[in-house]
This record gives sequence, structure tokens and C-alpha cells, in this order.
Amino acid sequence: MPTLTYLQAISSALRDELRADDRVLVMGEDIGVFGGAFKVTDGFVEEFGTDRVMDTPLAESAIIGTAVGAAVVGMRPVCEMQFADFIACGFDQLVNVAAKMYYRQGLAVPITVRLPSGGGFSGGPFHSQNPEAWFMQSPGIKVLAPATAEDAKGLLHAAIRDPNPVCFMEHKHLYRRIKGEVPAGVYETPMTARVARQGSDLVVIAYGAMVHVALEATEDLDSASVQVLDLRSLVPLDNEAILAAVAECSKVVILDEANTTCAAGAQVAALIAERGFEDLDGPVIRVSTPDVPIPFSPPLEQVVLPSVERVKEACRELLAY
Amino acid sequence: MSSSRTELVDVTMPQMGVSVAEGTVVQWRKQVGDQIQADETICEISTDKIDTEVPAPAGGVVAEILVPLEATVAVGVVLARIAPEGAVAASPGPGAPATAGGAAAATNGNSAGAAVAPAVNGAPAPAASTGATGVPRRYSPVVQRIAAAHGIDLERVTGTGRDGRVRKQDVLAFVEAEGATESAAATAPEPPLHIESPYRPDPAAVADGGQLSRMRRQIGEHMKRSLDTAAHCTTWIEVDMSAVEGARAPLGLTALAFVARATTLALREHSSLNAWLEGERYTRHDAVNLGIAVSLGENGLIVPVLKDAHELSVEGLGVRIKDLARRARAGELSPDEVREGTFTITNPGQYGSIMATPIINQPQVGILDLEAVTKRPVVITDAAGNDAIAIRPMTILGLSWDHRALDGAIAAQFLAAVKRHLEAWTAV
Repeated sequence: MPTLTYLQAISSALRDELRADDRVLVMGEDIGVFGGAFKVTDGFVEEFGTDRVMDTPLAESAIIGTAVGAAVVGMRPVCEMQFADFIACGFDQLVNVAAKMYYRQGLAVPITVRLPSGGGFSGGPFHSQNPEAWFMQSPGIKVLAPATAEDAKGLLHAAIRDPNPVCFMEHKHLYRRIKGEVPAGVYETPMTARVARQGSDLVVIAYGAMVHVALEATEDLDSASVQVLDLRSLVPLDNEAILAAVAECSKVVILDEANTTCAAGAQVAALIAERGFEDLDGPVIRVSTPDVPIPFSPPLEQVVLPSVERVKEACRELLAY
Repeated sequence: MSSSRTELVDVTMPQMGVSVAEGTVVQWRKQVGDQIQADETICEISTDKIDTEVPAPAGGVVAEILVPLEATVAVGVVLARIAPEGAVAASPGPGAPATAGGAAAATNGNSAGAAVAPAVNGAPAPAASTGATGVPRRYSPVVQRIAAAHGIDLERVTGTGRDGRVRKQDVLAFVEAEGATESAAATAPEPPLHIESPYRPDPAAVADGGQLSRMRRQIGEHMKRSLDTAAHCTTWIEVDMSAVEGARAPLGLTALAFVARATTLALREHSSLNAWLEGERYTRHDAVNLGIAVSLGENGLIVPVLKDAHELSVEGLGVRIKDLARRARAGELSPDEVREGTFTITNPGQYGSIMATPIINQPQVGILDLEAVTKRPVVITDAAGNDAIAIRPMTILGLSWDHRALDGAIAAQFLAAVKRHLEAWTAV
């Protein structure tokens, strides 16, 4: 199997889908001739032409609105938000038009919206957010958040082939940092959680970039046996896998990079409180970003985002409980 | 409150319902010198029908026990005194044996002339129920669940968590070490609703030759007194339960709820059975307070009362019966919930028995017995007068009635009314 970066895995999925299915097209700001802000679609316009690799105006509502119309008449558009933060401009088209189209009119809207999200590179408050919970609150939208190159490709295939609108949260801090063996060709990764590391004393539940923080923090934590559960999909949320991990470990740290209040991890905590209570041997601990904008200043940003040290500290506290 | 030392907290015989005036101490869970937490049970008491636990009004150390075992005292009488946490230990007296691990908390045994010799009834209280720091032990949900599944007393488990907290690993290690078996309680089936009959053979003597429990003795007294008092007579009637069986499944109810409803309707038509006979005083009741016999397994049975049962639909009766039975088995009934029944239903049919002669619950004048509903071949007659043999779910309702209060014709009319309501069931 070839070794690809997270970013190359995403490019590979897009290219495979464009080759396999004429209905697939990609659209976004500067994704054509320029190849995209992060070069995900580098070289695409040469292979597939400007009809299928569309440069758009700086108008997210137009990008998503156009995609919805195209999807309704049978296309499978993939929209790129240059940064996940910018989707706020296309919010109405996504949560009110796309998400509810099937409920209201019985029309499928098979669009994929790629959202380069997350911080860790001093991008500041407009280029570092993790807005996944906005869409978790909007019934009708699926929300995926891969942590590995293999899952990035497999989940993007699954997203494009899914009949629903899908928000594909690709963590831009992982783009070139994470590499892994990726199967050749098209494969769909199931929208379920994945045990990233087995363990039985405590489980850290995370997704996206935080899976790697969790793995690093607990790789050798006072020789405790720490499980890491990678959610991969936030909608649908793999309740059974979460509860199975709780049943096995009885102690839970929930890690997410988003702002604390009503984040994906809050939903996980609520699920455990409701259905995992009898398996708990300690309080459910959350590690997340406080409810503040992401600072530009590198030292301040490091303080705000969940760090390996903070996760270690939380795990040690809970293991000793 | 009349504590001889102001720092002691009195534990008094509680008022367990408006009509209860006294109670008997049937077990001391704590002895003098034992640590106790607020709301932890200090002793068990028994009133006329209800056994219950007395919670400690404050945490601390049991300083005095003032009422001996099996003594009956009035409501409000001081049973024991507790030296609250942090209070200076009471004046030295004849020392109590130090409890394991509780030496620091050892208080004097019989101070202030208290007339009790504790620790005479068998097993000593468990060792200190506190963690290493003296903080009362609390257990996480998973620890409690594992302990319950394996029948483990968590006080015996050494905790390795923070401040001696018992962790999941600790209880699992304990299970492994002890090879504890699944507790019977975890797998025991729901006990059925039924009433004991005196015509069954006496239970074989248990190997340890132990005395009858308090509850068994009381049931025995009540039953014998009833047989000595009432002129018992039992009448049976066969009922076709087809209509009830058809209506029951969609409502998710048992046949008992329907029989309770039909009985209530019939009692409103025949109030001579909805009555009390006390000596020569015969009181008919308008409202139906329906007693339902609930088995407590080998311990005995109790008859919680559905007040104003005539105001309830069959669904309402079903829900209330289920709730009373659950609370009866959990020991959560208050004395007022087992009083003032005007008629009783007993239902031991789960095991396939078909007839019984139940004993009247004094001072009532009737008790209805519902046994198994079984399919039988019966002769039915259609509208044109043609006879045929059909398979029908049948049951035999038995009514024991007091010949002092009424005669057989009334009993038969009442049973016919119950039968009529059941066979022509329409939701009422």
C-alpha cells in the first residue's frame, strides 16, 4: 500500500471519485487554476477541466446554494470551504436548505462540504475553529472527522457516495503531519468509531487531531492500560462503541478541540451519563478548548488548545481516583 | 428531647402513620461504640404489620442504646443516643469492646444508667465503615453493580484509590480472590402475587430448627383468629375469560386487574360483602378499599390496600397493583397502606392451581380467590339455541364469606355479578 499524507489521501479520494463518476464535481474558491489554498486539488483542473473543477466567487452561500441545486438535479458536488470558519456565510443554504430538503420535499441532497478546520498554527480566531457541533445540531446533516490518512480517504469516499449532505471536517493541522498507508482505489470507511489503541484502565474518547494528542499523551502513562477511541463520525455518533468502551474501562476522559460548551464531547458525556452510568467508576472528565476565541499569539494558543500535558494530567487524576 | 448530655442526639421511635401508637425493636443494626452515618439504619422496628428501618438522625458514634431487643415502646420514646461527629466522647464508663479499626471512636458502653447489653444477638456489626481518612465510604455505580451481582459486602474490600476509595479493580480482584458466586437475588424470579393457605402442609422443619419469623408468627395469629372468629364458607363459580383474555393483551395487563375491576363493580352492587363485622357491629361501606395479597416469598405475605378502588379504571388498577406489589416487596409500604381494606383479592394462580378456600382478612366478610386461567372444553349455546363444544379460557373464582354476616344466596349473587362483568367485558 502506498504511504500518503492526510492531505494526499483526501486528494486521492477526490480524484478517484471524479474519475469514477461523471456526476461528481468540485467547487470552491481558488481550487482550480491555483489548486486550492492547501493544494488539495492541485492539478485537478488540467485533468478534469473547468466544468468539473469550478473556481467560484468569494461567496460561500453561492457555493453551497449552487451545489444544492446541482445535487437536486442529480449531480454529486463536493464544495470546499477555504477555511471551515467561512462556512458561516453559507450557513443558511446548508442548515436550512440542504439539511431539510429531504424532510420537506423528499429530495435527496448528496453534497459534500469539505471543511478545513482546527488550530495549532497561529491562524487566529477566523482560521482555527472547530465548528462541527453547529452541524451536529442540524438534523439532516452527517458530520465526519477523520484522524488518519486511511480514514480521510475512506470517509471522503463514503461522504461523496452518501445521499445526505455531509460536512467533512478535515483537520488542516494534520494535512502534512500525518502519514499512513492508504489502500489503493475506492473504499468506504464505515461511519463508526474505531479503537485507536486497546486498553482497559481508562478510555480517552477523541476525534480528528485530538486522537493523536490522546495517543501521544497516553502512550506510556505510568504503565496504565489506556484505550483511545477515535469517533471518526460525529453524526451518526457510534453510541454503542462509546458505551462498550465505558463498560470496559469505567473511567472516561473526553477530549475535543472545539470550545467546551455543547461541543461533540458534551454530547458524548451526556450519552454516558444517561446510558453508561452503571459502568462508571469515576467522574467523566472533559478536556477541551475553553469558551474563548482562538488567539493569534502562539504561546496563548498553546495554552488554550488541549495539549498532551493537559491530557496526561487529566488521565493521571482519573486513574488515581 | 430529654438528652442527659446536650451534645448527644436522640433517636426516637418514629411515628409510622397516623394510627400507629407503638413499635417493637426487632433488631439493632449498630451497637454502642459503632460509627454511624446520618440516615444509616440504626435499628429495625416492627409495628402492627409493617417492619421498617429507623435511620440515624445524625452521623457519629452510637453512645447509648436505651431500649432492648423485642421491647415495645410508644411513639416518641428515645431508643438510642448518638454522639455526633466531632463531639467529645461521653464520660468513661465500663468500656465496650473496641470495634475493629474503630478504636479511635470507641465510646463508653453503658453510660448514664442505660439498661442495655448490646451485641447479644449474634454477629457483631461490620468493622469500621469508613475509608482510611475516616470519610464515609461511597461507591461508584460500577463498583456497586459488581458487588450486587456477586453478593459482596463492600465493607470487606480494601480500596486502593484516592483516600482508600474502592475502585473497580479492587472489587474485581476481591471477586477473583473470593471466588464469590452469583447471588441468588440476582437471578431469583419475580415472586408471584398470592396468599398462603392454611390447608397446605406445614413447612418442613428447617435444619437449624430456627424459630418462626416475626412476620410468619403474625400471619399465623391473624389467620387462626379469623378461623376462630368467622363462620367460613366458600362458594365457587366458573367464569369464561374469553372477553378478558382478548382485552388484556393490548392493554398489557394481567387478569388480576380485570378481576379487581369486576369485583369492585360487583361490590358496589352488593355492599353486604363490602363490609366489616366487628363483634356484633356490621358496617357496610360505600367506597371499595381493595386489599391485594402480595407474596413476599418465604417470608410471608402482606395485603396492601388500594383505597377508593371503585374510582379506578382497569388500567389504573393494573398500574396501582403493580406499584403496590413492587413497594411491598421492597418493604416500602407505610402502615396506612395496609389498613382499612373492605374486601380482599388473592391470586395464587401462576402455578396452575385451580381452587382454594381462602381465609377472610378480619374484620372483612369476604375474600375472592383467583386461580389459574386454563383452556377447557365447554358447552356453549349460540343465539339460535344450538349447543356446541368450544375451547375457552376458563377460571374458577372462589369466594370465602362469613356466614355470620350473610347467606349463600348473596354470595352466589355476588359471584354471578363478577362473572357477568368479566364475561361481557367492555372497557369501563
